[in-house]
Amino acid sequence: MANWRFKEIVVMAALAVVFGVVYLAFLPLGGVLVGFFGPIGYDLIFGIWFIVSIIAAYIIQKPGAAFLSETIAAMVEVLIGNAIGPMLIVTGMVQGLGAEAAFAATRWKNYSVWVLMAAGVGSAVTSFIYGYFMSGYAALAPGYVTAMFIVRMISGALIAGLLGKALSDGLAKTGVLSSFALGKEYRKKHAA
Amino acid sequence: MFLQRLNPSLKALTIMLFVVLLAMIFDPITPLLFLIWTVSITFLFGKVAWKKYTLYFIPFLIFAFGMLWTTIIFADTPTNKDDSITLFGMTYPRESLLTALALSLRVLNVAALSLLFIFTTNIVHFILSLMQQLRLPPKIAYAVLAGYRFLPMMRDEIKIIHDAHRVRGVNQAKTIKEKWENYKRYSIPLLASSIRKAERTAMAMESKGFTGEKNRTFYRQFSIKKTDWIFPLIMLLGFSAAVIVSLEMGYLKLFS
Repeated sequence: MANWRFKEIVVMAALAVVFGVVYLAFLPLGGVLVGFFGPIGYDLIFGIWFIVSIIAAYIIQKPGAAFLSETIAAMVEVLIGNAIGPMLIVTGMVQGLGAEAAFAATRWKNYSVWVLMAAGVGSAVTSFIYGYFMSGYAALAPGYVTAMFIVRMISGALIAGLLGKALSDGLAKTGVLSSFALGKEYRKKHAA
Repeated sequence: MFLQRLNPSLKALTIMLFVVLLAMIFDPITPLLFLIWTVSITFLFGKVAWKKYTLYFIPFLIFAFGMLWTTIIFADTPTNKDDSITLFGMTYPRESLLTALALSLRVLNVAALSLLFIFTTNIVHFILSLMQQLRLPPKIAYAVLAGYRFLPMMRDEIKIIHDAHRVRGVNQAKTIKEKWENYKRYSIPLLASSIRKAERTAMAMESKGFTGEKNRTFYRQFSIKKTDWIFPLIMLLGFSAAVIVSLEMGYLKLFS
């Protein structure tokens, strides 16, 4: 936290607020999908709930960005008043840890597409382990649980990893990120 | 009322504790009884508007119902196949039905616990208390509070972006597909403007002397008083009673 500028923290919080709202908007959609397909319905779009980790980490490129942004997004969801309640903060932390682990594996140096997708998968893995205990997946048939797990990992890689990267790159193009790691990188690449 | 005056951090921790405890229960009786207990406490000590409460609760009923039928259908093979229950002309294994009921009642109970928290807690107080009781770094706490203030501005921002697009000849969205296209078009400008706003806010805070130091003073002080412990005690009482009744009835089941 010591090498973070306050500006970066507030921007991370602002991103978390925006995506906290997006996350809440996707909850009823997930609910509908669950109604149709069973618990696997959530897993189809689960990646959307990891996206802020990938975006914040990719933009700020500092240790802790993935974990903190997801935690703050969860906090914001609690603030707005979703009905999962304070427990959601723990869920956010668990998801953030998964993404952070992927970035930690590269010592927070590499932010290529593959690492971003791996971060999405990382969130999927940790959130699934957590969900296995908290939501009682243990009561479901093993084959079904395996299918849920695979679908969630794919969703994490595609929705969180790829869509997150596309959004961040789009932002870099506008120039608002000029004082952040991603914006500087973008400028260097396009100055030549 | 009593729930509103409770220390927010302690209230949140208590709720979390019982959500974790509930996750270990796999029989329908315990969550059913504890659900009744939780809802009663909310209305007795919380002075919650029941209309609003019901409105928030309905989505969870739907969700719990989805959970119910899918868990029955996709349930693990029961150990005791011959023991079955016939309901609405269909025969289900007794064990699967009970587990499915347990899981959906758990969803409802977690929802009730969360609503208890949401409807009785002032959000700004919650963050201040997180900082004062649970050592949340002030840098993060005030960043979140600042970000939280952006929320109402976001709606105006969407309106501005929408108008800007219209002025430049983008048509009003009518179908769902067009609406989706519009949201895709709004996402980057919306994010860009919140990033700019956040940057400016951070600079303003720092220029007014915000350092994020941990040993700062607070205008609004929060502490945990002795009477605050009544809440966890009441909840524990209800939970133990639910577990004991379930045990007496022979239903109690931990971790399947």
